Amino acid sequence: MWQFIVRRLLYSIVTLLILSATIFVIVRLTGDPVSLLAEAGARPEDLERIHRQWGLDRSWPVQYVSFLQNIVTGELGKSFNYRLPVSELYFQRLPNSLTLGLVATLISILVGVPAGIISAVKVNTWWDTIAKGVALLGLSIPGFWLGLVLILVFSVWLRWLPTSGAGDWRHVVMPSLALGWYFAASMLRLTRSSMLEVLGSEYIKLARLKGLPDVVVIAMHAFKNALIPVFTLAGVNMVVMVNAAVIIEVIFAWPGIGRLLYEGIFNRDFPLVQGVVVMAGFMIVGINLIVDILYAFIDPRIRLTR
Amino acid sequence: MRRSRFVAAALMLIALASTAASLSSPAGAAARGKLVLAWHAGFASRWLDPQEHDGTATPDNFFTAIHDGLIKNQGTALFDHPALAEKFTVAPDAKSATFTLRKGIKFHNGEPVTPQDVKFSYESYRGAKADVFKKKTERVELVDDRTIRFHFKEPFLDFAILFGTANVAAPGWVVPEKYYKQVGADGFKQKPVGAGPYKLVRHEPGVKLEMEAFDAYYRPVNVKQLVMTSVPEGATRVAMLERGEADIIYSVPGELVSRVQKLPGVTLAPVLSGSWFLEFPGFQDPKNPFRDKRVREAVSLAVDRRAMNQAESAGFGKVSGNWINNDVQYALEWPEIERNVERAKQLLREAGYPNGFDVDWVTPLPAWYSRGERLIGQLREVGIRARMQTMERGVFFQRLQGGVKEWPGVQIIFHGIRIAGSWSFWYEAHVKCGGFNSRDRLCIKELDAKFEQYERSINPAERKKLAEEIQRAILENHYLVPVFRHAFVNAIGPRVAAHKWQDVFPTITTGYAYPWEDIKLKEQ
Repeated sequence: MWQFIVRRLLYSIVTLLILSATIFVIVRLTGDPVSLLAEAGARPEDLERIHRQWGLDRSWPVQYVSFLQNIVTGELGKSFNYRLPVSELYFQRLPNSLTLGLVATLISILVGVPAGIISAVKVNTWWDTIAKGVALLGLSIPGFWLGLVLILVFSVWLRWLPTSGAGDWRHVVMPSLALGWYFAASMLRLTRSSMLEVLGSEYIKLARLKGLPDVVVIAMHAFKNALIPVFTLAGVNMVVMVNAAVIIEVIFAWPGIGRLLYEGIFNRDFPLVQGVVVMAGFMIVGINLIVDILYAFIDPRIRLTR
Repeated sequence: MRRSRFVAAALMLIALASTAASLSSPAGAAARGKLVLAWHAGFASRWLDPQEHDGTATPDNFFTAIHDGLIKNQGTALFDHPALAEKFTVAPDAKSATFTLRKGIKFHNGEPVTPQDVKFSYESYRGAKADVFKKKTERVELVDDRTIRFHFKEPFLDFAILFGTANVAAPGWVVPEKYYKQVGADGFKQKPVGAGPYKLVRHEPGVKLEMEAFDAYYRPVNVKQLVMTSVPEGATRVAMLERGEADIIYSVPGELVSRVQKLPGVTLAPVLSGSWFLEFPGFQDPKNPFRDKRVREAVSLAVDRRAMNQAESAGFGKVSGNWINNDVQYALEWPEIERNVERAKQLLREAGYPNGFDVDWVTPLPAWYSRGERLIGQLREVGIRARMQTMERGVFFQRLQGGVKEWPGVQIIFHGIRIAGSWSFWYEAHVKCGGFNSRDRLCIKELDAKFEQYERSINPAERKKLAEEIQRAILENHYLVPVFRHAFVNAIGPRVAAHKWQDVFPTITTGYAYPWEDIKLKEQ
């Protein structure tokens, strides 16, 4: 077991190293940030001074090693734009993003899972057709459009909810709906296919042959087994919603991590973009690591698979 | 007059209330209510520190709330509105300038604003044009406890206009020396302390600034709380206005202008802003079709400026004949250039291009790409075929600053800028050989020679004549082709007391709503 954990841990470290190197190179390919940091009319010597000030005069390998050292020591550098440590900015915004991500995840589960189950149980009926239509719409409607429509209906016409910003529970409703909608559709599809697979399995047929009522077969036998991939997806979805809800956070002026990332990209704020991406990487890799270890505990065959 | 009326009112209040607090708070006492501004982009912390002015028009939206300068651009005054200084004089030989501070002015932390703070702010200033001030200043003299004098090595005729134009440079915007040194430059950006009409009470970096009227400000401040909140999406800003969540919104998207116009109680504020013009990088190359003046003129005649204004600024912009805004010193008034497709085709035939020619790229200032598309459509009508090149904003400026080598082949740059103060700042940055944005793309020797003469001269009449000669030469030779002045369309909500939009946007050198202290809310 320990061997398995160590191996997974090493894989995770390698993944994070690849991620850090990739984002390090990608932000630098966008060009020199000093052109956005310097005042109009800056002389070449001023530009050099700014390069030195932010350590951009060093070679890429040296900058990368420094970036890694910062990560190891728990720092993520200092934002060019805000002149604050990236970790401080990140953790300032994290509670907002966690709130949004959590509520959107709940919405996606509450909508997607029951609809997926009904769709699978009532396969090829009009229930199934409606559910498939909803899933198609959910995956096709762009988040920014849905967000604007929600603002128009609930804020401008009905005057029930505030348009934007963060504050009390009313501020969370529309951005989480707009964000959770897409993920609800993907949950619906996954739940449906997972349920269909389980419902066609031998042990379900046996349960039915034993004369168990449909409700018991579905609730006690099929549902439990079909949920494993669904909840794995929900976990990953939540990490994505917390760290990369860029468009929704911009539309609703929601002060979360997605908007921080947007501002970082817009201002070529290298440390900020690198920091946010690496933190998202940590979350995803961390969750996957935990899930892998839990699977291995539950099913020893996984440990033996190399 | 207004001040005396206010003092009288304040005295009456004091008599009635008999409170000691009112005695020390003439400005804040009358302030009431809350005003919310929905800002159209993110916030950069450097915009809260005048010491690092980035030379763009953006920071003065924030400086004018939190900080104050000795003199500044405000209302119709281009640069010389007395602010922290009650008066100033420039010596006849332009070798010194003397400022007298108002009595009893304070920073938000209660410390008095002293000549030493002015000296510190000037000498440690490292923002836009800092090199110009450093090069020309000999020393700063503290004359007495309210008077400060700047001595120059040579006549510095542009000193006052540079010093007082907040959207060009800010060495005259005063920061408290003791506090600045105590918290450091980065700390100051998080918790700035100024001498402006509003003090910062809460700062969510990149998200929100919450400010409160500064009681000890030397002018009355009408609104108690001022909140600036960043809302990047235009449609959301409009929805905020409709719901009364915001009182002023900046940058109404063109497609929503008609909707905003129909909202009850809402006033549209289409502030005339930057000028848009065409540049032909590499036009001095013998192989470049734009080397021929007739071709450049043909391009000018092919542009449908009215259609551009209508489509891009809902008709609120202005079709002007000059590429320099007419709200700066010595700007030349020039008649509107009418579209004439037939004449343009004829000029192309005469220049040897009867079937037109291909332009490799038309590059509009990011992210105004629709303007580039419209231009390409208009040029096509006279036979000039072009493709549009889109760039990220940073890359665009980087390539501008890289000079002509960054623009190979046949190219047109469709640029838009806003610079306040003097026409010379426009020339210096966008035409002069070696200028920050022009680099080596234009380099017209005879014009640069005249500009040097202009800079040396201390005779205002001669300077005006030279300024006009240079601008005329640029326009007659079509080195730059003016297109239009676009409108920065803002909107004012029903809670704000205003008979017309200019009551909220009275400063002609900016698109922003300052002076903030003058904005009033209606009686509830």
